Amino acid sequence: MSETEPQAESTARSSETTTGETDERIREEWSDYSFEGEAKLAVEDLDVHYGDDHALKGVSMDIPEESVTALIGPSGCGKSTYLRCLNRMNDRIKAASIDGSVQLDGEEIYQDGVDLVELRKEVGMVFQAPNPFPKSIRDNITYGPRKHGDLDTGLLARLTGRDDSDDADALVQRALEQAAIWDEVEDRLDDNAMGLSGGQQQRLCIARCLAVDPDVILMDEPASALDPVATSKIEDLIEELAEDYTVVVVTHNMQQAARISDQTAVFLTGGELVEYDDTEKIFENPESQRVEDYVTGKFG
Amino acid sequence: MAGATDSSVVRGDTSTYETVAAVTVGLAAVLFFLGLAATVELVSITGTLAGLPTLTTLGLLLVCMGLAVAGFGLVSYRGIFPTDPRASAGLVAAGLFAGLWGLIGALVFTETLGLGLLGGLGGGLGLGAVAFFATALPREDVGSTLPAGALAAFFGLVFLLGIVGPEWSWSPANFPDSQSVTFFARSVAPFAVMASSLVVGWAAAKAYGGFGARGRHLGAYLLVYLNAVAIIAILVALVAFVVFKGFGPVTEGIEVGLGVGPTTTIGLLGFSVDVVWPVFWPFLMNGASLFTDITGVFPAIVGTAWLVVGAVVLAVPLGVGAAIFLTEYAEQGRFTNVVEVATNALWSTPSIVFGLFGAAFLVPRFAPQKSLIAGMITLGFMLLPLVVITAREAMIAVPDEYRDASAALGVSRWQTIRSVVLPAAMPGVVTGVILGVGRIAGETAPLLLTMGGGSFVEAGRRAKVLGNFQLSLSPPFVTNPELTQATTALPYQLWQVVLTGTGQTAGVDDVTAFGWGTALVLLGVVLAFYAVGIATRQYFRSKLTYE
Amino acid sequence: MATNHQRDPDGWQSRLASRFARFAEFVQDTENDAVAVGALGTVALLGAFASFLVTSPYTSVFLAGFLAAVVYGWVRHQELAARGVTLAMTVSTVVILALITFFIFYEAWPILADRSGTVFGVTVPGLGMFTTTAWNPATASPKYSMLPMIQGTVLVTLVATAVAGPLGVAAALFISEIAPPAVRELVKPGVEILAGIPSIVYGFLGFTVLSPWASDAFDLVGQGTYLFVGIVVGLMALPTVVSVAEDAINSVPESMKSGSLALGTTDWQTMTTVTIPTAFSGVSAAVLLGVGRAIGETMAATVMLRNTPTVAEPLYNVFYGFETLTSLIAANYGSSSGLQKDALFVAGCILFVSVLALSIGSQLIERRMDRKVGGVE
Repeated sequence: MSETEPQAESTARSSETTTGETDERIREEWSDYSFEGEAKLAVEDLDVHYGDDHALKGVSMDIPEESVTALIGPSGCGKSTYLRCLNRMNDRIKAASIDGSVQLDGEEIYQDGVDLVELRKEVGMVFQAPNPFPKSIRDNITYGPRKHGDLDTGLLARLTGRDDSDDADALVQRALEQAAIWDEVEDRLDDNAMGLSGGQQQRLCIARCLAVDPDVILMDEPASALDPVATSKIEDLIEELAEDYTVVVVTHNMQQAARISDQTAVFLTGGELVEYDDTEKIFENPESQRVEDYVTGKFG
Repeated sequence: MAGATDSSVVRGDTSTYETVAAVTVGLAAVLFFLGLAATVELVSITGTLAGLPTLTTLGLLLVCMGLAVAGFGLVSYRGIFPTDPRASAGLVAAGLFAGLWGLIGALVFTETLGLGLLGGLGGGLGLGAVAFFATALPREDVGSTLPAGALAAFFGLVFLLGIVGPEWSWSPANFPDSQSVTFFARSVAPFAVMASSLVVGWAAAKAYGGFGARGRHLGAYLLVYLNAVAIIAILVALVAFVVFKGFGPVTEGIEVGLGVGPTTTIGLLGFSVDVVWPVFWPFLMNGASLFTDITGVFPAIVGTAWLVVGAVVLAVPLGVGAAIFLTEYAEQGRFTNVVEVATNALWSTPSIVFGLFGAAFLVPRFAPQKSLIAGMITLGFMLLPLVVITAREAMIAVPDEYRDASAALGVSRWQTIRSVVLPAAMPGVVTGVILGVGRIAGETAPLLLTMGGGSFVEAGRRAKVLGNFQLSLSPPFVTNPELTQATTALPYQLWQVVLTGTGQTAGVDDVTAFGWGTALVLLGVVLAFYAVGIATRQYFRSKLTYE
Repeated sequence: MATNHQRDPDGWQSRLASRFARFAEFVQDTENDAVAVGALGTVALLGAFASFLVTSPYTSVFLAGFLAAVVYGWVRHQELAARGVTLAMTVSTVVILALITFFIFYEAWPILADRSGTVFGVTVPGLGMFTTTAWNPATASPKYSMLPMIQGTVLVTLVATAVAGPLGVAAALFISEIAPPAVRELVKPGVEILAGIPSIVYGFLGFTVLSPWASDAFDLVGQGTYLFVGIVVGLMALPTVVSVAEDAINSVPESMKSGSLALGTTDWQTMTTVTIPTAFSGVSAAVLLGVGRAIGETMAATVMLRNTPTVAEPLYNVFYGFETLTSLIAANYGSSSGLQKDALFVAGCILFVSVLALSIGSQLIERRMDRKVGGVE
């Protein structure tokens, strides 16, 4: 559970059962959901179409910094689509068309002239299925900084004595410790990453992301492919990360969301953001009947 | 603490530096095309360009670009404009510049300084090493631009100062007189210009991107895009040239009107009807004889048509049958591996080796001379591996669910193959066969050895296979003299043109023009097959995909 | 573990035995007329093949017998007939390859035996064709050397690989990773059409346009250069490299590329440090296949070269072009006989073996790549 308690401004009571109208009202109200501190990411009216499929409908939400925001909802409701919009990975999908505004630290990321490379240095992502490179563990971790030019360990640098091997080693250790996997791999850093187990690979991917030192970490169901032991390690890791990073986690595991997040956004069928509030509120006393049905397991 | 950067994600407006760099890339492109034009004499090295002797103009441009590029590097190095260079330009760039400068060094030391082979080697290695370290050691903005600018400036000065003038030539001494080579300014200068403009363009693109990762990305993309454009341009130029040269001969003497064309007799059930074609297209309808004014390729077209028919009749059932066995009946094991290796080996065997086989094995077994049927079977063998591979892929792509559903209904395996798998795989097989036919229709080498008959034949001497099957009571019981004749086909006809060179043969007035016409017809036939094949593939692909 | 008194070191004896047993069972289970027809058909097919080999006029009889057996089997036992016929067809592909291999070596044998040499007391057939450089079939003691042709093929292939290798891989990268969809729809068919242009047309173009220009531009004696033949052949091998390399690059999983991009790299960095290294085996296989294609190219070389087997001097003189292994055969087959003809078959053997080696090499490399990438997902 988080330590800070963002204030919700007002809570309205819905006396009727859920209709579209009522949801509209609810959205108006919780769209005033505000919190102490800065909004790291401010999303307004985000619409995504995959061809004819309207995958995300007019989503607006602000994500506070240095906290964990969970996105929950049944499969296919647009959570991953939303997440991929935050670092513009959806640009890779040819059939996708994206409208709306996403601001990072007050700067619009969907305007002309945005350098995607710089954006992704600030907003990192961990994917659902672990995707380490078929290289050594060390090379996986140092990949980002090397490509950004912050670390030079190439042949030429080593020959001229200008290399950063010491910094590289320190970075590798720091990232792997942060990802809670250092003890397991410290004596085989030069082994191929493909030889690790699924859970280890996923933690390696998290370490790889941390090595770049982004401000925001997006996680798309990071523990869904893992066993319970690995899952709990990753959950602990996420809670720790919230102290320094802005974390947005997509999960279909409601208990996980309840455990680790500070605020939760609920997406229901058709790419709709139905409710967004403090985690306690969503799980104990949600405004929307549909959300209540969902979190109590009546459907989805 | 998470990265507290204040660098923005948004790139600012284009700065002057970037604009100048972009302009330089554009100028490099212009220079590249000037060089290209000079190779085909559109721009004459020995003449003038823009009022000055060509080499002087080119030299000036080269020196300007070289200085500009070096300028980019220095301006970036002094920090006058913000760029993001790496600590070094990298090993790849260093290697390439070492190669270029090493070559220049070798040539200069060997010839200009007259130091012979050893001197050339030493000079080449020395200059190459200098270039290598000049690229790799300094910071990236200097290492990428100085060697590049120096290259352009070097050539520019060589032209400007007249060291290489319009009448310059050089003949390497160690080449024997019977195999001597002379390099002239008009042949060599354009390539120097093009190479320099490529290098300068690349460096300028890197500068535009502010060096670093983005600069390298832009520089690389420039070269890759240029490569793709060049390939397509060459393709268009080739096809356009053949069309341009062949269109005249092919369309000569076309007449349209009633009663103008040749007569075909259609015999059916005892009735025979004479149909007169309303079009007379001499090039496609005539053969070569002293009695026609326009020589045509009709016998060659007929020959090609029969070859294709024969090859398809042989290869398609055999190939599809083999594919059926491999995918549906056989288990993955030693036998299937051997067949796969054999199929791939057949697929990569050179066409002339097929020709040798046909000549050694097939030709003697049908007739004392080369024959149409030997050619058909040889081409069939060439088509076979393609059919096997394509049919296998098409059948493997049919989902197992179809087969399982059919088996669950109690249908036998062969029935399943016949009614479920084959129809689903047919589109893929048909496409593969069409593309394969396109390939073998253009093959010449096997025909040379197995089928090629007389050089220029009359229309009447084309292969008339259909009407000539003869049965007899004595062995071999079935014969067809037309199949065992040597005859001609389109690619073979073109080869005959080359052999004959220019001159009069069998009533052909201008053999080279005839050659272009034949080439155009052959190209048209083959490309038609390819176009149909590609179109069917697109069609089936769009039918099967859901998005 | 039971003690086995019978020694069966390879296991093939027991496998053969079990195969016989299964076959005997099959014969027993199947209806008699099916077995009879199957046996008859097989005998007829083998008979047809054998009589064709000896050029017997009775081939058509055997063939007719085979067809009759197939028709009967199809009507009465279609399931079994289908299986048998398709098996025969599969076997025929292997037989064809075996025939080709056998016959070109068979025809080449006489001159290989005639020109044997000894190395350390071991007789090496055909050595005499590689230790001299003269090709003089018309003299009193004719000389047949493969060396000028080997030099020609090597030079042409080197130039062709220098053209088709880098440009082909760059084009493949362009098509699969860089090009926007509209441009890809233009470039990909374009490359395929480049593959479709018949080699005789390339040769004709080279002969009428390139060779005269080259002779003039470099003041050569006569027409025909390995350099320009190499460039033309490289252009012809380019589509092979592009299509195989493109398949290899496409098979790199999207998740790996996304992983790299999500870390803040440029597309080019992702391509050079993730995509190409992962697809490296496939790309190498593509280049090898392109080299094989270049080695086997016949008509463009035959048309553009001088067709007089001579050694180009100095050894790297690409500005003159005489004869490659392929052009030797194409230009001389019609007019040669006896030992000279056999020499052509020797050239054919060299071609066949080298292209086969390259093809098998590239298959092995591709198989290694499947294993490597397969470990990812």
